[in-house]
Amino acid sequence: MSGDHGHEHHIEPWGPHDWSHGAPHNSFAPLVMSIGFGVFLYAFANIFVMGELENISSMAGVMLGFIIITIGLIIWWRQDMSFDGVYEPQGVGAPFRNIDLRKVAMWIFLMSEMMVFTSLFSTYIRYRLGIPNCEDVFLSGEWVEGTTVNCFEPAAHLIASSWFHLAPGAVNTFALIVSSFTIVLALKTAKMSNKKYAKKYDIETANVDAHRSRKVGIYLGSTLFLATLFLTLKLIEWFVGFPTPGPLTDLNHGHSEIKSLFAEGYTIHANAYTNYHYDTSYHGGHDIPTDSALYAMLESGAHPGGMMMADIRVSASTFYVTTGTHGVHVFAGMVGLSYMTFKALRGGYGPSNAVSIEYFGLYWHFVDLVWVLVFPFFYLY
Amino acid sequence: MNFYGLMILTAIEVGAVGVDLSAFAESIGATEKQLTFGILWGIGIPKFIMIAAIFMHLYGDADSKILTMTALFPAFFIIVMIFFIGLTSPGAPTDLPAWCRPPSWL
Repeated sequence: MSGDHGHEHHIEPWGPHDWSHGAPHNSFAPLVMSIGFGVFLYAFANIFVMGELENISSMAGVMLGFIIITIGLIIWWRQDMSFDGVYEPQGVGAPFRNIDLRKVAMWIFLMSEMMVFTSLFSTYIRYRLGIPNCEDVFLSGEWVEGTTVNCFEPAAHLIASSWFHLAPGAVNTFALIVSSFTIVLALKTAKMSNKKYAKKYDIETANVDAHRSRKVGIYLGSTLFLATLFLTLKLIEWFVGFPTPGPLTDLNHGHSEIKSLFAEGYTIHANAYTNYHYDTSYHGGHDIPTDSALYAMLESGAHPGGMMMADIRVSASTFYVTTGTHGVHVFAGMVGLSYMTFKALRGGYGPSNAVSIEYFGLYWHFVDLVWVLVFPFFYLY
Repeated sequence: MNFYGLMILTAIEVGAVGVDLSAFAESIGATEKQLTFGILWGIGIPKFIMIAAIFMHLYGDADSKILTMTALFPAFFIIVMIFFIGLTSPGAPTDLPAWCRPPSWL
């Protein structure tokens, strides 16, 4: 119907759609989602204790949290679906004058994210530098079989031990970089003026919208696919493992499979140390460097050898919490990408609102940026 | 260009860990672990800058300067966390010299 200022009004119970009056994204949906996250986290924290399932009744709270989050998301997306970039509010005062407020908000959000990951990194540095390295303790010979040594075992010791172990993490690194690039391509495609677009792809101007929708959808869908690949490989690396390709078995010390970190005993369980140990008889002792104190002690008979049980819960916790938090961010990105791909395929992104892709891209590049630090220091070193 | 640069740097990064560098490390008077650590830092920093500056538009746009300052705002807190938490030892609270411990700990 016609509005009092000659604008079209689309008042619906879902929320404000009157973009031409200047009310974009003043949605109540994020508040609903915040409540959902609160319920979810409170219940989730009660389920597991030291990696063990303790309180299954809290699953009801987890499900309730999920339902509230989903309702919030559906409302938010339903409201955003019609947003075509007609009105983009900008800052009016210093220091963000004439800068899109959504962009500023995204950067402020990313600042808080920086603090989250910094706390995880500082925890990792603190423990890595403050607790003796398991291999160093083992080679020093200062351990007694039958007792447990509290030491730090970097996940990289397992992951970087062979090309096969390294493969999922390495493929994931490339997948994230390529996905950052596909987001850039989606933005570039959505941003291009109709005239330029028609000239570039040699099509009629009337066909630009349909062609653009398909192309932006494909780029965003590719990003979603790469994000899915990332999490799938992470799950394989953590819990599943994979077989070594037949002809390459010799390169894997004759083993026909690459065990998952979980199967290797790299867990946070209370009894993790019973599964994780260093053994002087491993490979007939050939892995013990001849210049180590342990080797000299074994040669002189001062050390009986055997198994050093390692309590690696602290190192496993820092690894799983940090890489898991990053994985949760990838998952959140996948949820957003699912919606954006859907909207793109329905013609939702063009030159007037391509910035929506740019602002999501900021988040996605940040996720890539964090991985640039996580990968070398948790997977390689 | 930025994308290809990132791909090449990542390939070098993975290669630095997978390839045996012990002979080269010995020739420059370092351990293989130290050399790998240096390479990872040496590659990680430009990768970080390339993503932030180019992909995240912190370089070259009209609003890049103010947004870079916004992004660097938490730097103070990050430094505090890395140097005053990350670089202390887990036993730091109990290992503190007597003069800077609370009286109840003496």
